[in-house]
Amino acid sequence: MIKIQGLHKSFGELEVLKGIDYEVKEKEIICVIGPSGSGKSTFLRCINMLEEVTAGDVFIDGVKVNDPQTDINAIRTEVGMVFQQFNLFPHMRVLENITIAPIKIKKMKPADAKKLAHELLKKVGLADKANVYPEQLSGGQMQRVAIARALAMQPRIMLFDEPTSALDPEMVNEVLDVMKQLAYEGMTMVVVTHEMGFAKEMGDRVLFMDQGLLVEEGTPEQIFDNPQHERTKAFLSKVL
Amino acid sequence: MDFPEIRFDMIWNYRELFIRGLWVTLALTFVGYLGGIVLGLFVGMGKLSKKKLIYYPCKLFVDFFRGTPLLVQILLIHLAIIPAIFGHSLGYFVSGSIALILNSAAYNAEIIRAGIQSIEKGQMEAARSLGMTNNMSMRYIILPQALRRMIPPLGNELIALLKDSSLVTVIAANDLLYAGKVVAGAYARFWEPYITIAILYLFLTYIFGKIITYVENRFSNSFVPKKKKGMFSIRR
Repeated sequence: MIKIQGLHKSFGELEVLKGIDYEVKEKEIICVIGPSGSGKSTFLRCINMLEEVTAGDVFIDGVKVNDPQTDINAIRTEVGMVFQQFNLFPHMRVLENITIAPIKIKKMKPADAKKLAHELLKKVGLADKANVYPEQLSGGQMQRVAIARALAMQPRIMLFDEPTSALDPEMVNEVLDVMKQLAYEGMTMVVVTHEMGFAKEMGDRVLFMDQGLLVEEGTPEQIFDNPQHERTKAFLSKVL
Repeated sequence: MDFPEIRFDMIWNYRELFIRGLWVTLALTFVGYLGGIVLGLFVGMGKLSKKKLIYYPCKLFVDFFRGTPLLVQILLIHLAIIPAIFGHSLGYFVSGSIALILNSAAYNAEIIRAGIQSIEKGQMEAARSLGMTNNMSMRYIILPQALRRMIPPLGNELIALLKDSSLVTVIAANDLLYAGKVVAGAYARFWEPYITIAILYLFLTYIFGKIITYVENRFSNSFVPKKKKGMFSIRR
């Protein structure tokens, strides 16, 4: 479903991704782990072209994403993204945060979009928060609204960029629970995370990245119980 | 110091001149301000463009109109540029309005550019990740937030422009300052006419200040529920 070939990304002199090949299959849950600065967020942001790739290709359903001829906006409607810092629109109420994209991009009728938004809010457990501003929500609530906002475009792939890293510990689970529910429903997900518990429990495949390279890849059992590379072992010994 | 006997009756005799001056000043200010905001929006966004063909002309525009005195710009437009294009003068109001629009646009462009840049990068990324085009993201996400932050400095510009509009008097505009100069010339007295127009300008800037405060309160905190004011709460 997502095919990445020889992906390189440099910021000026700094080479952040040094050639990554990977293929994500439909309905797979991919968890990307690794130390800070390993390039895992950049890797994720290259999938929906929030970062331009320096070299290599990204394909989604066979369409080359980094081709200038490709309508990147159309592809992004199929690929939802959730950010570490939530990035809710502070000037809009929760409901408008969720409905703006379907109304403006998909030309959905406002009444239908509202109905969809209420359903999604119910799904993420925030049915009563439709009419408040993001400022009045807790971090965990904001992130759940952000997930609902991304789902409102009815994407087929969801990208999560450290969705729980900016949260107080007691709020992490409410967000992870929503993500688990999504996973059970068969969403294709790529999750950059520091939550090893989530990766172990939910990941179909776990990717360990370090210094811009995909060091090791496998099932959670393979990576966590029987890592092959020294760098993987060293990293896991620090975080587990 | 030797104060002359104050005689405001001569101001009263010329009241129509002052009233017309007030209207001319207000008209120049409004035309200059509205034009300056619209043009400033384009120039300000142009200064954020990555395309050199857009960026450099906008930068040049701002550098020129911020870097030269408004008085020089007014004279240049009225006496040189407009006659060169149309073969004759189009009157003080056209020249004055153009100069004020261009000058305030340069200042507004910087306010607008800074306002847009002050919005966190994540907002644009979130909008784009949903599939919005760059223009849609600007229109629905970035500008509505940026405009709120621009209100206080744009308000300052309004008051500055009101006062700067008095410079148009050098090309024989019959604005408020002109009315004062006529009376001063007719009676060879300076206290009454200049005090009068100073008070009138002060009156206008005070009214504008009130309007700006209202607009600020109306838009900047619209999502915060009203709190009861405590005895020692700080007024903002």
